[in-house]
Parts: sequence; structure tokens; C-alpha cells
Amino acid sequence: MTIRIDTTINGDRMEIDVDPTLTLLEVLRENLFLSGTKEGCGVGECGTCVVLVDGEPVTSCLVLAGDGDGANLETVEGLAQNGELNEVQQAFVNTGAFQCGFCTPAMVLSATALLRDNPQPDEEEVKKALGGILCRCGAYPKILEAVIEVTGEGA
Amino acid sequence: MTTYVGSRVARVDSVDKVTGHAVYGVDVALPGMLHGAVVRSPHPHARVVSIDISAAEKAPGVKAIVTGKDFPQLFGSAIKDQPFLAIDRVRYVGDPVAAVAATSEREAQYARDLIKVVYEELPAVTDMRLALADDAPLVHPDMHTYQRGGHDIVPHTNVNTLYRYERGDVETAFAEADFVFEGEYSAHALSHVALEVHVAVAEYDEYSGDYTLWVSTDRPFFLRDDLAGGLGVDGSKVRLKVAQVGGSFGAKGVPIAEAIAAVLARKTNGRPVKVELTREECLIASQLRVPAIMKLKTGVTKDGLMIGRSADVLWDSGAYTAYTVGVAIRGSQTIVGPYRIPNLKILSRQVYTNKGITGSYRGYGTTQVTWACESQMDEIAHELGIDPVELRLQNGYEEGDSYLNGQIMHGVGLKETVEVARDEIGWGSIDRQPAPHLRRGKGIATMIKPTMTPSSSNVVINLGGDASVQVICAAPEIGSGQDTVLAQMAADAVGVPIEDVSVPATDTALTPYNGPVASSRTTYHMGSAIVSAGAEIKEKVLALAGDFFGVDSEYLEMRDGEILDEDGERLIGLKDLLAKFHGEGFSLTAGGRYSSAGSPLLKADPGEEWISSIFWMFCTQAAEIEVDTETGAIRVVKVAASADVGKAINPMTCEQQIEGGVVMGVSNGILEDFKIDNGRIENASLADYKVATIQDSPEIVPILVESIHNEAPYGAKGIGEPAAAATPPAIGNALFDAVGIRIPDLPITPEKVLDALAAKEAEDL
Repeated sequence: MTIRIDTTINGDRMEIDVDPTLTLLEVLRENLFLSGTKEGCGVGECGTCVVLVDGEPVTSCLVLAGDGDGANLETVEGLAQNGELNEVQQAFVNTGAFQCGFCTPAMVLSATALLRDNPQPDEEEVKKALGGILCRCGAYPKILEAVIEVTGEGA
Repeated sequence: MTTYVGSRVARVDSVDKVTGHAVYGVDVALPGMLHGAVVRSPHPHARVVSIDISAAEKAPGVKAIVTGKDFPQLFGSAIKDQPFLAIDRVRYVGDPVAAVAATSEREAQYARDLIKVVYEELPAVTDMRLALADDAPLVHPDMHTYQRGGHDIVPHTNVNTLYRYERGDVETAFAEADFVFEGEYSAHALSHVALEVHVAVAEYDEYSGDYTLWVSTDRPFFLRDDLAGGLGVDGSKVRLKVAQVGGSFGAKGVPIAEAIAAVLARKTNGRPVKVELTREECLIASQLRVPAIMKLKTGVTKDGLMIGRSADVLWDSGAYTAYTVGVAIRGSQTIVGPYRIPNLKILSRQVYTNKGITGSYRGYGTTQVTWACESQMDEIAHELGIDPVELRLQNGYEEGDSYLNGQIMHGVGLKETVEVARDEIGWGSIDRQPAPHLRRGKGIATMIKPTMTPSSSNVVINLGGDASVQVICAAPEIGSGQDTVLAQMAADAVGVPIEDVSVPATDTALTPYNGPVASSRTTYHMGSAIVSAGAEIKEKVLALAGDFFGVDSEYLEMRDGEILDEDGERLIGLKDLLAKFHGEGFSLTAGGRYSSAGSPLLKADPGEEWISSIFWMFCTQAAEIEVDTETGAIRVVKVAASADVGKAINPMTCEQQIEGGVVMGVSNGILEDFKIDNGRIENASLADYKVATIQDSPEIVPILVESIHNEAPYGAKGIGEPAAAATPPAIGNALFDAVGIRIPDLPITPEKVLDALAAKEAEDL
């Protein structure tokens, strides 16, 4: 059995037929080959599977694909436009805000969502917004520096 | 003169990683690919009586089922003690027993649950002290029959490693010392928690008998040989293709998912099989840091001179040895710390227990022993009334000092690391009590780390007719920025723009042998090979240029893709030169090799030079912490972290390693805590095994000390491993400074802090 969901992913409207028991993460990675979204635990504890649903960061392993029906989804693949990185991605490159890169899609998406809502967050607000995403490499100091760089408040 | 070495070059993997295009092991998907699932032991120790696969065989989508009897060979690096799947007994909760391959992951998991295993439980030993007892259950009754290397074991016991080192006369030193300090310290099991789980895709060609695996590993050739051992084939029959690695920290070097995928692929008529562990499986059945109990006794004069030290270190390998034998030997040596102590006596024993496998973990034994060594240093300083910084400066190694084996050490920047960390943290001044329930303190700790010796690195550098350069080597990027650092060195060695340099992915069938990406060895070893091969490429290009311009090539130079004359004036660009000579179809290659000789054992004959480590790394960390006396919680406010890296090839990637090391050190020291009951990990989830988030990350000031190592490529040593080791003792020492208590057993949890505060209060009354 499948259900049809009508969704917009990275600006492309599409209708897809999916097994209703699949998570949004599984559909993104396995049906649509959008493998930039990562799975680190599958049970909502590590934050690496964050995508934006109607602009809000959501751990995609915890929602079913059907929850994407009628939604506007953004994954890391949609951030760069015409070969240009978005400002958060560029700041991550400039400051070296990643190491193994496995949490980077989630970090970049969450920081992008934060800055859309609050273009001038202070350090505590940035930490709160990114506090649910683990980075075992410990890139946190440079991630913080990168997000603050985008606000124009950095040194 | 260098163009790229020493610069904050943006990482070459930047765009792939911020756009999500980087392909990791978990992202590999092949046509016709099956999925695997693993049956694991629910018991710490049991005999496998029977395995009934009849129901599972009939389940939908099932293509193959394997059990231990299909692959009876044992593998292992120092002791061949481990099967891919349990043969007749299971030795820890999580030990793999059987595996299924099916057309989907869900079908595989469904069929897995239909496999019926009958166990007969055996007495288990899950405490490393009890494993030493005469009547302890033996985890490996046949240990003495296993193939092994040259290290000592104690047959018919659980002791799988016995190592001793002695110099001078420690008993006389203790008798002559004004003060003798004795303490017992312990370091706990930790999970690496690489965010990418253990994963492999394997394919078997039944005509050639070749296995091909797509893997996420830090040590491709070691892993290849372990796999070949377990499969019972030559190493050449196993080919590993390495994807991007989503973190390793020492975890991804032994066959875990790889072994299961390979044995399943053997039985699927050529269809590839993917095995991806769950996070829970990673926590219970991959590898852990080796837990250690360390008894340390140190004799000092009243002026603070350290004259003797004895150590009795007990390590817990868990059910199989994996890479722990080296940890138990190297780690126990490092408990001497970076100090000149003339009289030493070390006993190191490692035991099997019925617990999860332990192994290499960022620091390879250093994180454990640094906890003991640096905690006791602080006790000595306070008891003698000597500033902890001064005690370390007084006894610490200097350039030209000799190491334990008598080897003269070069590139020793220890004292400078101590001084800069002291200055950055504002040693000696503090706001003690920012609020009624809060107390602040500062502490310092330092450390020494040798590197794997002997080991080898090989590279082939190719210069194409389009002036592009490929650095062909088996050094996977595990997150450390290593591809960038290797590209920087290659760009300068050859003399081309870094944009024209690429470091292709590792493939053991294409890339020449390299030791592991471990022990902070890659920059030095592979860098040395690259400098040598790069120089040869440059020499050949300059010979072409010399012919073209009719000048002796020794008066020419190439830098950043330009051929220069002896005055530094541009003669021609490399691309134009190659076009004139050869154009398309041109390819110039050179091989480079670096191999260090020596032995980790400290057994030099008198008068003979014996290399124990080709270089040493030194890191110092000074921490300021805040203790909440009502909750026992510790907040790490700031860490000044200095590291002697030799030459920083890329200061930014060095800072990344230091900052990441401190974050990991904070997490290891005060947050991560397994609850283990009779060998069973009870909190195998990231909700219950707490790893540091950005909200736990303190202010970190990384400071690079560059004590140039003359034999190193551009003077560079290493940085990845040592950065996490000094953090827990710096925090522990700051805790003493803040509230006057010590917690000898890691981790420093709020419960232990509250108990110790209560005990101190009772004592002070």
C-alpha cells in the first residue's frame, strides 16, 4: 500500500507515492536520493537528520513521510543556488566550522532557519538553536564563530 | 619558501561537506543491493547450544543466512582471538552470532528475529579486578593456543598482556625521597560516538574469489588484513574502497560491520550486501575506550624533584583484544608523563572480561594514564606547597633530553606549552565566588604522546599534461582536515597551485600501502613521502624547462605553477611548458616512501640507538571551572589549550583539532558515563549516554607552539590524538582549586562531587 503526498522539496513541487510507514528521512534518502540528510541514530537523539519543514527545523527520523504532505521542505541540497553557497555555508567554509562534516547539513540548515527568524542572534541564542545537534568532532567553537560572522557581529 | 604550508588554506573538502554532496559510507548504494541484520548475544558468557534458522530461511526477502561455522578462522592484530561470528560460545552482550541478508532492511530485521539460538549460560567475569583472581572464569580457556605476536601473556589466566619496564632502582629512590605519594586512579569505558555509524557494503565475485568492500575506515590496510584473516584468504583478495568517513576517533579500524557484510556477500550469488549498525549496536558492540585502574607511586625531594615512580596498571580489553595490546604497552609507558624521572618500575597487565570489545580511542592509552599522572602531579604540588605550574616546569622534558629508551628527543616544546597556557588562563587570579552557591577554580595538566613507530607511508604523485596533480595515497579523510594538509604540502613540494592538487579516495587496489590514519602520524609520515615524491616531480619538470630554455635546470625554480629563473623572474607557466612539450597524453609520476624503524618496546641494548617514537607531541591545558555546590554540577568556563605541533601546516586545521579535543575531553571527563550491570550496558542510547553539545562547549583558546622538528616535513609533527587527554585532569585539578576535593575515578559526575563535598564537610567539622 502506498499513499500519495503532494509536497515541495527545495522549490520543486512533486507528487510522490510512498509506503506510509516510512519516515520522512527514509523517503528523502532512499526514495529521492537526497543523501545530504544524514542519519546518526534514527530515534531523534543526535539531530543529524534535521530538515526544514515550512521553515522550521525538524528531526526527519521522527516524522512520517505523510507529514510532508502539503509542506514546503528544505534539505541541505537546496541551500546553494546557481553554484553560490548561501551565507551560512560560506561562513562555515571561511571559518572551518566542520571536520568530518556528518553533522554539517543539519547545522547549516538549523543556522539558516535561525537567521531568517532572528538575523542578530546573540551567542546564547545560537547555542540554543543548535543545541540539539551533536558534533562529535567538536567543531562547536568554529560553528558559533561562523554563525556570528553571518550576523556581522564577529571580530 | 612556501606558498601554502603555514597558511590558513580553506579545507579542500569544504564545498562537498557544506552542500551535502560528500558521499559517506552510509550513502553507498549499489544496484541489487541487499541489507543485513545481526543476531547478537543477550548473555555476557554462554555456550551456543544450537541455532535454528529454519523459520528465518522461509521469511520474505531472505537471500542468505550465515553463522559462525561458515567462517571458523580467528583474526586479530596482536592475538588472533576473535571470530567474525561466534563459533561455539559468546563472550559479551552483543557478540554477533548469526546474520541475515534480505532485500530490505526491514525484511532482514524480521527474519533475524526468527532465528532461534539456544544458549547455556556460563559464569561470567565482568570486573577487571575479579578477572585476575585464581578462580575467575576464563574468557578464553584456549588463549595459549592462539596465534600471536611477540608480547607476553599469562597462559591459563585472563591476562592477555603482560608488560614490564624498569630502569634504575625505584625502591632505593623511594627510601631516599623526602615524600612518597601513592594513589589509585581509574578511567572509564567511553564510546567513540562517531556520528556516522559502522557501515559496509560488500560484494563477492565467485569466479575470482575476490571481495570488494565500500567502507568507512581510518586504517584501510590493517582492516583489509584483519578481514582477509577472518575470511581465510590472502590480503590481495580483499579490496577496500573508502568513502568519506563520518568520524572515527579510533573506532573504525577493526572489522565490525565489514566482517558481517563480507560473510553475507559470500552467499548471495554476487549481490552486494549493506550492513549498517544501529546506534544501539554501535554503543554495545563496536569498540570502547579501554578502562584502566592505575596505581601510581612517586618519590620526590622536598624541593619538588621527582626521583622515582612505580606504576601498576590494569587494563580491560573486554571479550577480545582488537588493538588493546598496544594500548596496554604504550599507555603504561606514558604514565611516566613528560617528566625526567631517573628510577622507574612499570607493571602493566591487561585482562579479558565478558564485556564489549575495547580498543584504540583517540590517544591510544594516553587519555587514561594522563588522568592518573596529572592528578598526582597536582597532589604533589599542593602537598609540597609548590605552584603546580612550577612543578611541571621543574621536572618537564627539554630539547635534547633522553626518553625512556635512552633516545635523544628533538622538537620538545613542552615548557612553552605550559607557559602559554598558564598565561592565557590568567593563572593566580580568580573570582572565587561569583554567586553564593558557585565556586570557581583553575587547574592545569600537561601530557606527552609518542607516535606509532615503526610505520610506513607510500605515495604516488602524478602530474598530468593539464598540470593537474594527483596525490595517490591510502590516507582516508576522517575529518581531521588531512586531505587539505596533504594537498598543501604537495602543492609546495611540486610547486603548483593548490587548486590543481587533488587527493583521490583510498582504494587498496590502487593506492599504495600506508599505515593507519591514527597515532597522529599522517602529516609526518605521509608528508615526508609527499615531500620526497614532489621534489622528484619538480626536478623532472625543471629538467624539461632547462632543455626548453637552454639553461641548466639547477638555476630554475617552480613555484605555484610558474617556472622562475635564478632571479625569480617568470619564464613560463607550467601548463604552457607542458603543452609545448607533450600536451595531452602526458603523465609524469614519482613515488615517495617514508618508513620509520624502531620498536614501541623500550629494549635498547647499551650503546645501541633504538627508536621508540619518531617524534613526540606535547599538549597543556589550563581550565577554569565553576562548581555548583548545591547540585554538584561542573561548568567548564574556559580552557586555554596549547599544543606543540612542530610546524603548523595549516593553523586553522590545527585549531580544529585542539578545539575538538577539548570538547571531547570535557565530554569524556564530566558527561559520558556508561551504566553497566553484569556486563550489560543499560544506557545504550544518545539520550542516556550524554555527549557534549554546543551548550556544553566552553570558551576555548587554542594556542599553537611550533618547536620545529628537523627531520619532519616542513618541521611538522602531529596534533589529532593528544588534544583530548589533558582536559579531564585540568578539570579535576580545577575542582580541587575550587572546593578542595578530588575525584580519583572518572567521570567527575555531580553525584560524586556532592558526595565528596559532604564527606569533606563532615571531615572539616
